[in-house]
Formats: sequence, structure tokens, C-alpha cells
Amino acid sequence: MPEKRTTEETFTPETATSKEETAALKGNPAKGEVLLRVEHLSQHFGHLKAVDDVSFDVKRGEVFGLVGESGCGKTTTGRSIIKLYDITGGSIYFKGRRIAAGTLEYRQEIKRLREEADAKIAEINAGADSEKEAKIKQCKAELRERVAQEKAKIKAARSDHRDCEKKYLKDKTQELKAAYEKALTTLPAEQQAKAKEEYDNALKELHRHKLVTQIQMIFQDPIASLDPRMTVQEIISEGLVIQGVKDKSYISEKVYEVLDTVGLVPEHAGRYPHEFSGGQRQRIGVARSVIMQPELIIADEPVSALDVSVQAQVINLLDDLRHKMGLTILFIAHDLSVVKYFSDRIGVMYYGKMVELATSDELFRHPLHPYTRSLLSAIPLPDPEYEKKRKRIIYEPLREHDYSVEKPSMREIIPGHFVWCNTPEEQKYKEELGL
Amino acid sequence: MAKKLEVKNLRISFRTPGGKVQAVRGINFDLETGETLAIVGESGSGKSVTSKAILGILAGNSIVEGGEILYDGMDLLKISENEYYKIRGDKIAMIFQDPLSSLNPIMRIGKQLTEAMLLKGRARQRASRDAFNTLLRRLNQTMVRVSAEGDPEKAKELTKMCEDFDKFEFKHIALEKAFNTARDAANETIAELENILFLIEKNAFENPVRRLREEMNIAVKAIHPYVVSDEDAETLRAEAARVKAAAHTAAKTKEYGEICVSLGRIKGILEAAVAKEEPNFFSQGYYLTFSGQPLPDLPVHELNRVLHEYLDEHFMLHFIDYVEASLRYSAQIHDGAKQMVCAKLNAAIDFFGNMSETDDDRDRARAIRAQLGDAVRTSVDPLEIHSDSIAMTFSSSLKDAITVYFGGTKKNITERKRAAKEQAKFDRYTEKKGRRPDWTPMPPALVDMDLARENIVGLCKRLLAHYGDVLQASPNRDFRKEAIAIIDYLKENASGVVNHLTRRMAKQRALKLMDEVGIPEPRKRYRQYPFEFSGGMRQRIVIAIALAADPGMLICDEPTTALDVTIQSQILELINRLKAERHLSIIFITHDLGVVANMADKIAVMYAGKIVEYGTSNEVFYSPAHPYTWALLSSMPDLDTNERLEAIPGTPPNMIYPPKGDAFADRNRYAMKIDFEQEPPMFRISDTHFAATWLLHPDAPKVTPPTIVTERIARMKERSKQEDAGEENN
Repeated sequence: MPEKRTTEETFTPETATSKEETAALKGNPAKGEVLLRVEHLSQHFGHLKAVDDVSFDVKRGEVFGLVGESGCGKTTTGRSIIKLYDITGGSIYFKGRRIAAGTLEYRQEIKRLREEADAKIAEINAGADSEKEAKIKQCKAELRERVAQEKAKIKAARSDHRDCEKKYLKDKTQELKAAYEKALTTLPAEQQAKAKEEYDNALKELHRHKLVTQIQMIFQDPIASLDPRMTVQEIISEGLVIQGVKDKSYISEKVYEVLDTVGLVPEHAGRYPHEFSGGQRQRIGVARSVIMQPELIIADEPVSALDVSVQAQVINLLDDLRHKMGLTILFIAHDLSVVKYFSDRIGVMYYGKMVELATSDELFRHPLHPYTRSLLSAIPLPDPEYEKKRKRIIYEPLREHDYSVEKPSMREIIPGHFVWCNTPEEQKYKEELGL
Repeated sequence: MAKKLEVKNLRISFRTPGGKVQAVRGINFDLETGETLAIVGESGSGKSVTSKAILGILAGNSIVEGGEILYDGMDLLKISENEYYKIRGDKIAMIFQDPLSSLNPIMRIGKQLTEAMLLKGRARQRASRDAFNTLLRRLNQTMVRVSAEGDPEKAKELTKMCEDFDKFEFKHIALEKAFNTARDAANETIAELENILFLIEKNAFENPVRRLREEMNIAVKAIHPYVVSDEDAETLRAEAARVKAAAHTAAKTKEYGEICVSLGRIKGILEAAVAKEEPNFFSQGYYLTFSGQPLPDLPVHELNRVLHEYLDEHFMLHFIDYVEASLRYSAQIHDGAKQMVCAKLNAAIDFFGNMSETDDDRDRARAIRAQLGDAVRTSVDPLEIHSDSIAMTFSSSLKDAITVYFGGTKKNITERKRAAKEQAKFDRYTEKKGRRPDWTPMPPALVDMDLARENIVGLCKRLLAHYGDVLQASPNRDFRKEAIAIIDYLKENASGVVNHLTRRMAKQRALKLMDEVGIPEPRKRYRQYPFEFSGGMRQRIVIAIALAADPGMLICDEPTTALDVTIQSQILELINRLKAERHLSIIFITHDLGVVANMADKIAVMYAGKIVEYGTSNEVFYSPAHPYTWALLSSMPDLDTNERLEAIPGTPPNMIYPPKGDAFADRNRYAMKIDFEQEPPMFRISDTHFAATWLLHPDAPKVTPPTIVTERIARMKERSKQEDAGEENN
């Protein structure tokens, strides 16, 4: 029935995003588009500023490495992105939508405005102006207006943070409705019923899928992150079950499929985690995240707990998956050799701040920030002669920087290479690069 | 260099419900003083088991099947648990892989750090007192026997001399202790003041009131007649008081100008004090105890000379003469006894070499052992400072070896019976009933009688050779030198008695250690619990605890696996630095070849309980010979790696049923037919480089290592050549 086929084709919802999605799943990602944008992210725990004003973009299809010593906030950054924490300040955009937002900067702005206004009023009061009252009044009115603006922003941030899923669903539903509207109203009754059914199904599907589940995480410790009392099938399919999939055969099929993808065999599905070696356990962890068909995987030190020979297996697996499924990976690790090998771009973090960001080749060829240099100088290599000569550079922030005059900020030294520095330092770095 | 540790043909298995797991299958290596040996391998290759065997902390289900672990000539597999107490922690310390599981979760860090120090301190104080008293008593006895035979007046004089020595030596230590405390305080204050001045300059000084007060309290402790003169002491006190008074206002206003001036003055005084010459407290102790006069008022240099002369004239020269004579006499007697032992040992070796398993021979062997044991005991010179560990452990080792030999016959019979019974049962199931049981009969675990006999003979031969060396060196002994050494040893023990570790001192030392291993704010951290620390910090605590007793050998079981690059690098540097400073020997266990290039002098690559490649660090990295080493090298990326990594396929073999041929054959791309049939021997590549692979056999086909490895080696050579050229140009 040729006619029917053509009508079916017209039913396929064709929106910009869904096109991308299908393309991504087929392993043909639209490269260069920003998938994840982190803007001025701050995550404070009381007085501890675990992450403080960190910004970066992750483009579709790339591997973005995040390095730094333990306690520098790289794991916290990863967890904030996946909304395991409510962030203190800044915004996180995923596929152009704000999925998490904090209010720190607005609150700080309000405080600053108030202080400014107070100072101004005090100045006016001190002076011998005749129109004191009026001026003060004007000042206060201005303040009120500005504060109201900031408060509106806070409200928007809170709403985005809380209701991003609702908004996502609403928008998607509207898109779907728009796509099916014509078919539902204009087609003959028989076809309309069919279209209605499809529409309902698609709607159900939409209700199941959350935006945030398109980001998945792989954890560091393959032993602690797998429930010892669940079989591999239960562990891997848990996400699907939570989404409301009830079809057992569909679940099994999916599980077998991902097991195959990560290099395990379907027989493994019935076993328990303790029956596997460390490398295999990590594969299970990868399978669990891959089954949700994510677009972004946050790999939090996925190979640190593994033997060297097994590390290579897992890295090769992630590399394969990345090409096969068009994944984007935020790769958090402290082993610089591995990060260099695996990542396209690298961000270096130090005590909650991102101090340098560049493509991996550029970063290793021209490290600019003294902390990056000290980090690079600490990499052990399998070369005894070199190792005997290697001198570790010790980074002492107090000795290296003089920020008493000008505070540092993130600056682009050459295109794509950002360093946390102030003007004199920026000039110094530029000279070093021969600019 | 002296060999610190020798491991010979060590074999260890574990009894498990599934059968006997052969964890270590005959490994050999040795470790010299001040050297680092890295043992590299995957988990389950037996590297941790080896280290635990050295420390005598194997699990309860382990069986040591054979071999020797010689530490300073002592076989660690033979000594008793009591003797191990003196070795663990004091001589050999261990850093474990998982810092969280090696710390007590409900004990504050400070207590865990000082616990061992205090326990060991008390034990050491007792031991020092015993050693001092025993040696001095023996010395006195020998002196009397040599120089005052039948002359009670002279004997009394000699005894008085020893008592005098005892008395003024303790005075000396007390003086020195006070001086050291003051000078340490001065040194500590100088370092801290530099830090504070720097922080003030950078405007990053936190907690100023508390820190300044603490520092000033320590600075005042440096006041001591020989460290800071009276005049300076007044200034120091005044300045310290001024700083303390000004701290509050300065903290509020952030104006540190005045304080900085005061601090600079204090620092100047202390620096001048530290640079001064140290008085000789030994002669001073004598002068103060026996002359009955106050010290003459002279400059330190002059004073030292005068007092030294006084001491020599009145006491020391005579004393040394007597000690020398005693030593000569004692050595003479015991050399005779040693010769007797040698004759007896020769006879014993003849007997043991030809004995059979009869009851008669058993009784004779026991009698010979008893005689030998007595003879050896009398041949040990009591005036020797360092006890002869080979002679000391000889008797008990021989007893064990004889028991194994004569018990072996019976054991073998029962084992054979058991195995035959199991085999019969198995056959009954399989052949007659046609079932396939899920177990297999355990083969008989037999005692190798020839090996057992050789062990006995070997023990005798080792002592014989040792005594032969001692007797040969005997005519050339310099007794004057030894007499001085013995007096030094007495001094050392006296200081061990006086310098007992108080809780306060232990805390000070712990804080210093914490600072040394790079833990910021040690005073605050001291009172925290392990869970309040990050992984890297926890590992530093573990290292600090391991170093607390000042060991001579360190076993590091994957100390940096859980840490990140900077911390790893710091910890490795720390271990390297401590190795150089304290002349440590280190066994470094890891799965990551990358980290050992900097550390290791020698590398042993282990796989399935065997050492498959053994060589110096350069040899293993620049010309690896075993396919397993190649695989390890090619599975890790370095900074220039772009090609796909070559992971090692599969998993290590099940060691309950070790494979027949080369254990690595299944996962080996280069495996040949013979690898599956016969185990390769250790092929010698150079004097220091060995590898167990059939590829080194002259008949084997030539293969080249994986390109990822050859290319990397080429790159490394290129780089070092460039650097050399660069240095020459400079």
C-alpha cells in the first residue's frame, strides 16, 4: 500500500531537536554545537568554596577532560552538573536549556547595590546640599528598582532550577502537538485514529523521559557503585524500570544489547557483581549508563581504581562507545597521561577555580599557568633517565601571584586557550608565547 | 654494599575450600642497603603475599612451603613471634595500600601517631638500661679477670672506675639534653618566623594572635646558658613580651610594622645563637661530677680543650686501656671456642649428609644438635656489641630442620595413604558409577626428604663459613678502635635511658613528622579522626606512622595507587628523600610501571607467583625482554601516545591449577608451542638482567616487541640524546 507509507512519512514529527537526536544516535553528531555550558558555577558548602566561579563549554561529540588534585572540586563540578547538588551560584545549560541555576551572584549584586546606595546617601547627608531629601529619595527609588530586577532574576533562576523538567515537557509537548496537529484535524477518520494512537504513544514516551537522564554518570569505584544484592540485569535495567518500562522481553533485549556493546556476554546478566573482576565491574557501570541512551556521560575517575592493564581495556571501551554512539564525555581524572590520551580539551582546576583551559595538545605544549606547569611536572613517565632529571615544580600561589592590585579573571591568551590571570600576567603569558 | 635482605626460592600457598592456591612459586631476589626494589605485577600475582611473608603477617591459611628470607643474616621464616616484635616497625615498616583500612577509625590521628612511639619508647628505654648495665657489668668482670687477678685492691679500683663512668655519663646526657631542647626550640622558631614574616609581607597572615603567642612561647624556651647569653636572653624576653602585647591591636588594624621589627630582632638573636660552637658535654659532665669546682670561665673553644685534657688525664686514657685489654682477652678465649665449634660442625656435616630415617639416627641427630647448640652458645663473645644473628638463630633453626626431616617420613606415609584413598573414591565415582563429581582428588603434599636433609646440612655449612670468615679476620682486629666503639655504644644506650619519650615529646615529634610528610596545620589535624582526612592526607599519616620508629627497611604496598598525580609525586619524592636521608632499603610494590622509573634501582616483574623479568630499572625500561613486560608497557598511555592502547586480553590464570607451561602463554600474542608444554627457565641477558621466556632461547624465532613499546623507547632515547647534546652546548 504505497499511499499509506507516504502518509506515515508525513506523520513523522520533524522538529529541529529531534533531527539532531536521531543524528546523534546514529553516530553522526552535529559537531561544534555546544551541548553543555557551565557559567560561573559556584558550589559552596558553608564556608568551603568547593567550586568557585567555574565556566566552560562542552561541545557535542568531544571529550572534555577535567583535571586537578583531589579536593579541587572536579567531582563536585560533575555532580553539580547532574543535579546531585543544588548549586549555590551560576547556571548550567544543557542543550540550550538552563537545567540548574544558583542565586549567589544576584544576592551578591543586591548586597553590593545596597552598600553602594548607603555610601551615596551618607555622602549626600554629609554634604551641604539644599535638595538633600529629594536626592536621597531618588537614590532609594533607584535602589529599589535595581533590587527588584535582581530579585526577578533570582525568581527566574529558582524556577528554572526547580521546574526545568516541567518546562522541557511542556515545550516538547507543544512541539509534538504542532507536528501532529495537521494530521489529527485534516486526515480521514481511519487514519486520524491511527495518528491519534501514535500521538498518544509519543506523548507517553515524552512523559517518561527526563531531560537530566540524558546525562549519565560513571563512578570511580566499581565495587562500591554496584549493589551487591542485585543481578547485573537488575542493575543495568534499573533506569529503564524507573522510567516505567514494564515489558520484560524488551528490557532483556536491551540489556543483552548493551552487554554486547561493552564487551560482556548475555550469560553475565544473571550473575552478581562480586563474580566479576574489577575491569568487568567497570564495564557493568558503563553499560548501566549507556542503556539510557545518554548524550553526555560524566565519567568520574572511571579508571583510577583499576590495574594498569585493565585501565587500557576500559579506556578503549569508552573510546569505542564514543565513536559508535556519538557520545560526549566529561572525563574527570587525575592521571594526566590518560587525560591527555583521551581528551580533546582539558580544563585544569585548582581549589575550586578553573585556572587554565585549552585543547589537550596546546595545554601540554604551552602550559601557561604556574599550577598547570607544576601539575605537568609531576607526571611520572616510564623512562628512568628522564625521571632522574625530572624536577617537580612546586606551586605556591602566594609566591607566584600578586593579586593585591588587580584581581584575576579568565582571559583568552590565544584563541581557545584560557588562563586565570590579571593584566600583567596576561602580558607575560603572551610574551612567552611570542605574541 | 651489604645485602640487607635475601629471598631465596620462596614458595607460599594458601589452603582454600577450592584447593591449594599457589600464590608464590619459587622467587629469588635480594635487596642491598639503601636500594629500592620495585615488584610490579597485576593483582593476584603474589607481590603482596611476598611482602607479607617478609613481615611475618601472612594469613592463617597460608603454608610456607619452602625457601628462606634472610634479613641481616637472620632467617625471618624461622624466628619466633617474640623476635619479630623487635623487627616489625623498628627494623621493617610497612605502608599499606588502603590508608583507610590501616587506620583506626575511632582513634584520633595524634594518638595513632604517638601510640607506637610511646610503646616502643618505653620498651627501648628498658632495653637501653639492660644493655648498658649488662655490658658494663661484663666489662667490669673481664677487666678484673685480666688486670687484677688475685688483687682485691686493684679489683675495687676497677669497679670504682666503671661506677664513675656510669655516674658522669648520665650527667653528660642530662646536660646535652637541656642544650638540645633549647637549640631545637631556636631552630624551630627561626623557621616559623621566616614563614610568618613572609605571610605578613603577602598580607595572608591568619590567626595572628594565637600563632604569635605560640611562637613566642617556643622562642623563650631557647634561653639556655650555652645557646642564648644572659644579655641576649633579656632582650629576647622583652621582645617576646612586646610581640605578645602588640598582637591584639595589630590583628585588628593589620599594621604589623612594629611586630616585624621585634620578630626580626628575635630572629637575629636566635640565628647568632644557633651558629655558635657546641660545648663538649662529655668532658664537662666528668669535670662537674668529680672536680667539685664550677666551670672555668673560658670561651667555648678553649673550655672544650681544657676539659678534654682534664678528662683524658684523670680517667679516659686509663679506662680505654683496660677496656682494650679486656676485649683482647675475651676475643682470644672465644676464638678458641669458635675453632672447637668448627671442628664439631665438620663432624656434624659428615653425619647429617649420610644419615637415614631410622630411630637410631634420629636420636644421634638430636644429641649432636644439643652438643652443637651448647658449643655455639659458649663461642659467642659477650663483649661484642652487635649480636651474631647467624650463631644466635642456629640452634633453633637446626632443631626445626631436624624435626621436619624425621617427622617427614611419617607424614609422607599418611599423605600417600590419604591421596590413594581419595583417588580410589574418585575412580569409583567416575568409572564404576559413571558420575562426574565436581571435585578432583588432591595430590599428596609430600615432604621432600632430600631437600629436608640438604636444609640441615646447609644450616651447618652456613655457620661454618661464617665462623671461618670471623676467625680469618681475627688477627687483624684493631682492639683500640673497638674499645672506643664500645664506649660510644655505652654512651648511646645511656642517652637511650635518659632521653625517654614523654607524651609531650611524642606529640612534638609527631607534629614534626606530620609537617615532614606535608600535612598542613598539624596542630589542628592532630586532634582529628581519620574520616576527616582526604585520601592523600590519610596516606601521609600512614607514612608518618611507618616512619615513627625510624625503621631501616620500608615495604610500600601500592602506596600511591589511591592518590592523584601531584600527591603521588610528592609521596614518591618523600619516600625517595627519606631513603637518601635515612639510608633506607625499600621494597616498592605496584601495578603501575610508570611510577617506579623514578624510584627503583631494580625491578622485578611478577606474574602468577613467579618473577618473569628481573633487572635494573634501565634494563627493564629500555630493553624489556618478556612479553608480559611489553604488554604492561603498551597498555599505559604516555604523553605522546596517540594510537590505540593494547590492553592485555583475558585474566590471570587460576592458581589452584597453575598452567603446565608458561603461565602467561594464554594471554600472550607471542606464545609458541613450547610455552604451553614446558615452563621456561630464567634466561640470563646480562649480569643483572634475567627473563623467563622461551623467546630468549637460541632456537626461538626472532620477534620484535609491539610497535607502541619500540617507538616509545626510541623516543626516550632520542630525548635523552637531545638533552645530553643540549647540556654539552650549555
